[in-house]
Amino acid sequence: MKLKCAWCLSCLFVASVVMANPIEDQIRIRQSTYAVMGWNTGKIKNQIVDHPETYHKDQIIAAANTLSALAHSNLLEELYGPGTDQGTGWKPTRLKADYFQKQDEVKEINTRLIKETDELKVVAETGDVAAIKSQFGKLGATCKSCHDLIRVRE
Amino acid sequence: MKTIQQKVWDWPLRLFHWLLVLAVVGAYITGELGGSLTDWHSRLGGLTLGLLVFRVLWGFLGTYYARFVHFFPTPGRLITYFKGDWHGVGHNPVGALSIFALLLVLAALIVTGVFANDDIAFEGPLFHLIDKSLSDRISGWHEWLVDGLLGLVGLHITAVFYYLLIKKNNLIRPMLTGNTFLRPYQFVGSNGSLSIPRFIFVVLIASSVVWIVWSGLVTDYLASLSR
Repeated sequence: MKLKCAWCLSCLFVASVVMANPIEDQIRIRQSTYAVMGWNTGKIKNQIVDHPETYHKDQIIAAANTLSALAHSNLLEELYGPGTDQGTGWKPTRLKADYFQKQDEVKEINTRLIKETDELKVVAETGDVAAIKSQFGKLGATCKSCHDLIRVRE
Repeated sequence: MKTIQQKVWDWPLRLFHWLLVLAVVGAYITGELGGSLTDWHSRLGGLTLGLLVFRVLWGFLGTYYARFVHFFPTPGRLITYFKGDWHGVGHNPVGALSIFALLLVLAALIVTGVFANDDIAFEGPLFHLIDKSLSDRISGWHEWLVDGLLGLVGLHITAVFYYLLIKKNNLIRPMLTGNTFLRPYQFVGSNGSLSIPRFIFVVLIASSVVWIVWSGLVTDYLASLSR
């Protein structure tokens, strides 16, 4: 009986893993991920560049930690599966069809994203606004290089 | 060949031209590179807006050859030009077409740019007046317009070098010195004299427009209305 239950549960688990992450889920989750990233880059831009008088060290550290965590979240492997160049999450995806032919460049940018967000975490801890600003610029350029490479122009 | 010197481009117009070159080249480079330079992209956009407003007003208040009425490419002028009967100085009718196209594309770049965003850290000065989804679309148009601008700038430079090397007519020097040399068959009237008070007036209007758009004044005012 116990064994049967375990068997059923593991079957259910396997089935849910197989059935989860259809294309539209992947697209929706990655769109959400970038929305959260944009929320945090927007916050850093606001507090570090546009209105330094509103700078809150803890908030910037939290934003940098969030960005770094998302960069480390394995999103390339889990959210960019085959067929995800077409479909609708929150809105139609803007992933270019030739995304899958550009894996070397994509992986290089992904590595850079991890490196720059990690570095941002370090400078956020120091509270050196000028250093945060300069590191934030490098991160922005990294974001842009990927937008230019794999995102369809609207 | 004895030639007569003729003033065509007044100094505010020449200053406008070369500042516009700086602003557009700078905006292009900073826009392509992104990152921290995005702030400069925005500032250079502001400078470009100011220069465009200046040029439009100078097209009515400037000296003779700066005025739109004297080079607007009407069908009649274009026909005259294609028949080979145009012997004026300043912008010829086809050149004028390309000048107006350049000014229009630049104006469209400014209008789209002030509403654009880059999904990273840039929001145009009027971004908050519209929806994010509309801003995303406008940002796409902004990028397409850059392609159009590159084409027109390429055409502009090619034409200047075609005149220089093939037609042996240096158009760069007049844009530096203000003077052109008349061919014997050309006779044109004086360029008139430059009015400094008008120049100051035009610069004041142009900088006010930039300040109103870039300072957040418009957004704040509209926000106060809806409160």
